[in-house]
Amino acid sequence: MDGSGASGAALGRPAGAADEGSLMPSGYASPAQDWFEDRIDLNRHLIRDITSTYIVRVSGDAMEGAGISDGDELIVDRALTPRDGSVVIAVLDGELVIRRIRISSSGVALVAASASYQPIPVPDPDALVIWGVATRCLHRV
Amino acid sequence: MSEAGSSIALVDVNNFYVSSERAFDPSLEGRPLVVLSNNDGCVITRSPEAKALGITMGTPWFRIAGQAQQWGLEVRSSNYELYGDLSARVMELLGRYTGNLEIYSIDEAFLTLPGPLRAQRVTGAEIRAVVRRNVGLPVCVGIASTKTLAKLANRWAKGNPEFDGVCHWDLVPEDNRRSLLQRLAVSDIWGIGAKNAQSLNALGIDSAWDLAAADPVAIRKRFSVVLMRTVLELQGTSCITGRESTGNEQVLYSRSFAAPVSTRHAMHQALSVYAQGAASRLARKDLQGRVLTAFAATSPFSSGRKSSPTVCVPLPAYTADPLELTRAADTLLPLIEEGVPYIRAGVIVTDLRPAGAQAMLLPPASATRKDTGPLLHDVGRRFGRSAIGLGHAGLKAGSEWTMKRDMLSPHYTTKWSELPVVKAR
Repeated sequence: MDGSGASGAALGRPAGAADEGSLMPSGYASPAQDWFEDRIDLNRHLIRDITSTYIVRVSGDAMEGAGISDGDELIVDRALTPRDGSVVIAVLDGELVIRRIRISSSGVALVAASASYQPIPVPDPDALVIWGVATRCLHRV
Repeated sequence: MSEAGSSIALVDVNNFYVSSERAFDPSLEGRPLVVLSNNDGCVITRSPEAKALGITMGTPWFRIAGQAQQWGLEVRSSNYELYGDLSARVMELLGRYTGNLEIYSIDEAFLTLPGPLRAQRVTGAEIRAVVRRNVGLPVCVGIASTKTLAKLANRWAKGNPEFDGVCHWDLVPEDNRRSLLQRLAVSDIWGIGAKNAQSLNALGIDSAWDLAAADPVAIRKRFSVVLMRTVLELQGTSCITGRESTGNEQVLYSRSFAAPVSTRHAMHQALSVYAQGAASRLARKDLQGRVLTAFAATSPFSSGRKSSPTVCVPLPAYTADPLELTRAADTLLPLIEEGVPYIRAGVIVTDLRPAGAQAMLLPPASATRKDTGPLLHDVGRRFGRSAIGLGHAGLKAGSEWTMKRDMLSPHYTTKWSELPVVKAR
């Protein structure tokens, strides 16, 4: 069970009507009570660790090809270690910059997901400050 | 409170307000930065670079505003919303390392660390690394057998780069310990005020080393039981427990429950009792607070789910109103997990100032003209120069709803409209 309206489905009601049990006449146990689950909680789904999770807003179109658009909100986890291909927030010249990090035997680079932007070489990877790793994008559809 | 095979760690954030601003604005790194008190009155936190410019704590902003640009000085208003959120993150992380977390102020906490000394030091180093990584703030850790020594160890961890931010007092070689204590003035010891320091100096007790060598019983007779405890603590006997808060830096109201509390409803009742307790303590000391921290914790010894939720919220104004405090403490409730047995909770009010500092336009009738000056001086020295003044000068720029925060950074973590912006250009 993934929790998506399970109690509603058990009663043949539309999903999302799980709290109708509270409208039952008093004296009758809800047939759903054995199936009770907490509602879907986005915080639990999206946040691995509340102490290291931040939300940031994207400005610009350099990550369009990765499904990250101008104005989108990103969930960023500071505690994750970036791997090759991670979308990261890097500190460049005192600014927070979003790019995909490429780590290979030939070196490290920060790459946009758009042909209009040149990759940013990282000559000294030890000096590179990664502010956090993006885990989700909140995009308005 | 020191258990067998355990030590006390004091963890605090280096230049907390400055570090919080830098965590979200890396362009401030390495540049002189000051954070101003309420209404942009005076300097309350300085970066090391600002310190190097000769700016002292408490400097009124108007006095240095003219030179700020020429110095390249960055300045920010107090962003309590940001500092409160980051504080809660730090405290929650610390709670994962101990069953006994005692939040001491918005940016410091005592925690009990079990295990052998070297393992305690390793834990201290891990705490430092994890707070830096998860929250983006630098902390220093002082570890010792007593709170007073942990405070000292923390100070040395800060001042000496070779400690790498973590100083375990019991692992410092004997000779170094002696020279550190000999170089430390008694006035720099936790809980010793200027007045006691003077009286001690008059007796030839100048350094922490001198005080540690004093006879605790003689100190109690001549001074107080409080100072005797400090002597004992310097000698390595732990005797300052969680219930006693020293000084007027904060008001703490915390208790262990007789029976575990495992519902939000019961926690709400406990928090309102504690908030009212804190309110009456504030009233008794004639103080008002601006920031409230509320916390709860499960038992360190339970094998079940461990949880140590913490919130830190700015109050709508300086207040000692039990209703305001209760409302603020209740923001902890959504973080309480139903069915998890909490054994302890508490409320801490920080950023205190004397009640009525703004309302009192005239000196009290009992005060003659002659003693008004010293009175103003004392209050100003204790609570900051803008806390009191005569006539119009004594008025800060109105109350909270008109509070001046002209140089405020965004509420990065508490407002959707003010999120940090990342550049995709």
